[in-house]
Amino acid sequence: MRYFSPIIIAELICLIAAITIIWKDKNAFGKVITCYLAIALVTEEAAAYMAIRGIHNLWLFNIFIFFEISTILYGLYHCLKEYTNPKPIFIIGAGIVYPMYFSFFINHPFADLNTITITVMSVVFTLYCLYYYYLLLKDENFIEIKTHPQFWWVTGVLFYYFGSTMSNIFDGLFTVKIIGHVTLRYCIYIVLNLILYSFWLYSFICRMKQQKLQS
Amino acid sequence: MQNETTKIAILVAISTLVFLIVPVFLILYIRSYNRHKKNHVLEKQNMQQKFESEMLQTRVEVQDQTMQSIATELHDNVGQLLSLTTLTLSSVNLNDVEKAQKKIDNSLTLVNKSIKELRELAKLLHGEQLVENGIGHAIDQEINWLNKAGSYELKINNQLIDLQITSPNKDLIILRLLQEIINNIIKHAQATDIQIDSHLTNSILHLRVAENGIGFNPEETKSKKSGMGLNSIYKRIEMINGKLILNSTPGEGTSISIEVPYP
Repeated sequence: MRYFSPIIIAELICLIAAITIIWKDKNAFGKVITCYLAIALVTEEAAAYMAIRGIHNLWLFNIFIFFEISTILYGLYHCLKEYTNPKPIFIIGAGIVYPMYFSFFINHPFADLNTITITVMSVVFTLYCLYYYYLLLKDENFIEIKTHPQFWWVTGVLFYYFGSTMSNIFDGLFTVKIIGHVTLRYCIYIVLNLILYSFWLYSFICRMKQQKLQS
Repeated sequence: MQNETTKIAILVAISTLVFLIVPVFLILYIRSYNRHKKNHVLEKQNMQQKFESEMLQTRVEVQDQTMQSIATELHDNVGQLLSLTTLTLSSVNLNDVEKAQKKIDNSLTLVNKSIKELRELAKLLHGEQLVENGIGHAIDQEINWLNKAGSYELKINNQLIDLQITSPNKDLIILRLLQEIINNIIKHAQATDIQIDSHLTNSILHLRVAENGIGFNPEETKSKKSGMGLNSIYKRIEMINGKLILNSTPGEGTSISIEVPYP
């Protein structure tokens, strides 16, 4: 049963949608996101496998974080470059997050979850999302929000990383709390992932509508 | 210790909920703002379309006016002259050389007059293109045509003839306004003197037409919706951000001043 947790089901649906809809997109964004979803799914499955056997699995997520940083940075860059030249701010953002990620492992064993990087990266991604909204509003053209794929993709990212802020900050202090069989942190994690993958799924559907109109 | 942890956990759960609600409101705000932007853009497009259709109508009316003037001229002047020529020539008696010579000379004069009239008409046809040559020339052409009718004493002060800057849309509308004002004078004013002044000062184009006709009551005419003339003048003035000052008293003539930012 734990091989089919809600997160894994959501990721699977999202991955299938990504493969059928955005994989064949001309720009690299489609392929990058699809690969990321595949990696996320594999990571979750492997972690579930290890958890069942009682093997410590947080190092898997440490590896996954690296892909997460790269993909979300790329995705946000792709969305922001429609309105402005985002290279400078992304160099700054990457210059903060990546060094923090690698320097964590100087003082801590790899088996420890890289929580400080997760917190910082959440803040950075939230700021990029808000900046995207600001540029969208400032632009003199209006968009059809209901069918704008990038908007919903960024919205999903915002919900996930902004929503996880509190649980990131208070991470060490309440992981011992158990609600039912799972920790509160895991519950929040499930809810956030469901929200994220729902918005991403809707974004892919919008992209599909766009493709239909263009063909 | 357990209590503290529970408190923190509840705090985190509630604050996470709040943190999730905040983006919802953000999305709603963005949606509303975007909708306003869309309405604004569509309204702007709509206004642009209305403006263009109004310009088209103005162009057509100017052409109509020109055609009417030409038709009137052809009928009243050239037609008459040529009829007279035919009459004169058909009454030539080749046996009476002296009288015949006189009649042929008369006919020549009449034909020359017709040629002169036709040349003037050709200029009038070209008059539309004068709008491209500048508003000064276009006004001049209208005044010339008014002068030819001979029924008015004209005092002209047209300082726009050598104007270097043009604004084609505004020129067309100003010309049309002048035509409509002159038409109104001819139709209603029963005037004998007309004064037309035009100049460009401080980036504002001034055009003033004054006459000594029977005058009218502007308030009364505005409330009567029957005549379209004044309404269309006001509408066109608004289109080019201009100002119109109308002074008229029954029995004391009328003056209309137009001020338009130019170019």
